[in-house]
Amino acid sequence: MIKGNAIYYDGLSSLSQNIELIIDKERNHLVFTTPLVGEINWPIENIEIIFNSQLINIHFGSNPVQAIKIDEKEFIQEFTQYLNKNNKVSWYQRLINLGTKIHIIIAICFLGTIILGYIYLLPIIAERAVVLIPEDYDTEIGSSFYNQYIEYCEIDSIKTEALNSFAQQLDLNNTKNLKFTVVKSETVNAFALPDGNIIIFTGLLDLMENYDELAGLIGHEVVHVNKRHSMKMLCRNAAGYLFVAAILSDVNGIMATISDNVNSLQSLSYSRGFEKEADEEGLNLMIKNNTKPEGMINLFKRIQSKHDINIPAILSSHPLPEDRIQSIKNLIKSNNSRYIENKSLRDLFLELKD
Amino acid sequence: MELLTENEKKYKLEFLGKGSEFFGIIIVNWLLTVLSFGFYYPWAKAKKLKFLYGATALNNDRFAFHGTGKEMFVGFIKAIIIIAIIYAVFFLFLFLKMPLVGILILYAGIIAIVPLAIHGSYRYRMSRTSWRGIRFGYRGNRNEFILNFYKWFFFTIITLGIYGAWLSINSRRYIMSNIKMGDVAFNYEADGSDYFWMNFKNYFLSIFTLGIYTFWWYKELFAFYVDNLSLEKGEEKITLRSRATGGDFFVLIIVNLLIVIFTLGLGYAWTVTRTMNFFAEKIEITGNIDFDAINQTEEDYTDATGEDIGDFLNLDMAM
Repeated sequence: MIKGNAIYYDGLSSLSQNIELIIDKERNHLVFTTPLVGEINWPIENIEIIFNSQLINIHFGSNPVQAIKIDEKEFIQEFTQYLNKNNKVSWYQRLINLGTKIHIIIAICFLGTIILGYIYLLPIIAERAVVLIPEDYDTEIGSSFYNQYIEYCEIDSIKTEALNSFAQQLDLNNTKNLKFTVVKSETVNAFALPDGNIIIFTGLLDLMENYDELAGLIGHEVVHVNKRHSMKMLCRNAAGYLFVAAILSDVNGIMATISDNVNSLQSLSYSRGFEKEADEEGLNLMIKNNTKPEGMINLFKRIQSKHDINIPAILSSHPLPEDRIQSIKNLIKSNNSRYIENKSLRDLFLELKD
Repeated sequence: MELLTENEKKYKLEFLGKGSEFFGIIIVNWLLTVLSFGFYYPWAKAKKLKFLYGATALNNDRFAFHGTGKEMFVGFIKAIIIIAIIYAVFFLFLFLKMPLVGILILYAGIIAIVPLAIHGSYRYRMSRTSWRGIRFGYRGNRNEFILNFYKWFFFTIITLGIYGAWLSINSRRYIMSNIKMGDVAFNYEADGSDYFWMNFKNYFLSIFTLGIYTFWWYKELFAFYVDNLSLEKGEEKITLRSRATGGDFFVLIIVNLLIVIFTLGLGYAWTVTRTMNFFAEKIEITGNIDFDAINQTEEDYTDATGEDIGDFLNLDMAM
């Protein structure tokens, strides 16, 4: 038996009633008497106990809600001991009772795991998941973006034709039909869409001085298409959003995520790994087509000298252009390339330079 | 006034929750929610509300939230089904190559359920709240509120959003004035035009002062919510008044910001308890309602669907 003074609210009025509360340890009941009702018995398994710092609140029933407030220190201590001994403390309360230090440790470990998972695990899973998405979908979002985008651009149809003929002379290991478009614009840029549409601005073409530079650019962009880099990045971004939303238990965020992504195809910057892959494989394509691999280096140098103001998408990723140029140089050294002057490529290139 | 002071009672509103306690709850909830792939969410929410209500005390007695995870889980499932149906219809029309109809239905569907969610949420939340065993209740009429809400929403659209101030205050007035705490009735008296001009003035002042005036905007917003609220029981009355100044808000917000930044977000719990403490401290309550003689009048209501739809739509429905 544990006894103590407490305050009882009967759920019918807010009048406080002083009671002597008894914990019947044998029957596991709370027992008290009020002048109006007489003896009241509450089975302990049916009560809800709320621990506050120096206070215990007990609720019983839902209609009406009856409540007891205990603030006697000794009584609280004995009552808590009794609850612990008889396994009446919920597992949730046990987790809460671990204390702030343990909670901080849990939080830090948990946060660490999440950050590591987000950085290392999530991209891998998301990229693997791309296999599950049919290639038709790449085509669909690529061409719908292309149609919207191109509406606001001025196409140079003569150069577009020449560029397509240029690309047709190259063996690009492509699985999708490639379609090149030359857009009249000062912008020094080019980008590839997941459906095989590749857009090159005259600003970039004007910068080039040799056809192997163009071959390098085409090789680079085609690798983005062949390897489904856009789709992989979309998956990564979407997965990232979903992940963050799930962690923060933001139900609303989960519902609104993916649609935002498709609109950003053009400004989508590829990861370091993807750019490196595009450089390397693009270089292989150049070698395969007997063009001078140094063209890619020259191309990057020209873009670099030009891009002080805004960084074009093809150089937008994290590795510094210098690093990329260096690693391409190393690759060229380790590869045996055979350069054969290709007259028709050169002529087509000159047409593009007009 | 002289007559009033004779029966005037003392009221004390406090928030007694500690940041460390709330931190424990957030961390445990977070862990369980992620480990259960989100299914623990309703239970986590119940625990959180139980803490926040239980840490708020009026005249030394704590409020209590009686909602359970199970109730909210049922509501959660119903909410998912309702929202899934709206999205299913949307995708059906996309599939039928009628995207415009689909989008219209999507928006109309979401707007249609907003007042339902608000109504349901208040009925549930209030019915599950008690103080000294006296249950709160929301007595608004669903159809009346929904029709009014649609009407106000329609005005908001045709006035290009200007009527939004009235939509917001009219809804608030309707809801708050239908809240009961036993036989004590809440009463909210505010006018959309006051709200509109208050925001209008503060918007420009904030721009001209490069945002510094925002803290005084908060002060006025808080006062607008608090000062217009009163409680009534027969002839007895309680009025609320905000004591917060712009400077108070400045300190509150800047310190909260610093806590979040320097703890990399882990200090979030402390910012919540600080804010709750601030609100409780800055509300002055005066009047003559006898809080020892409130009678139970409100009924039980356990459907949490509205509450959960509100979560999905990110509706903020705190009192």
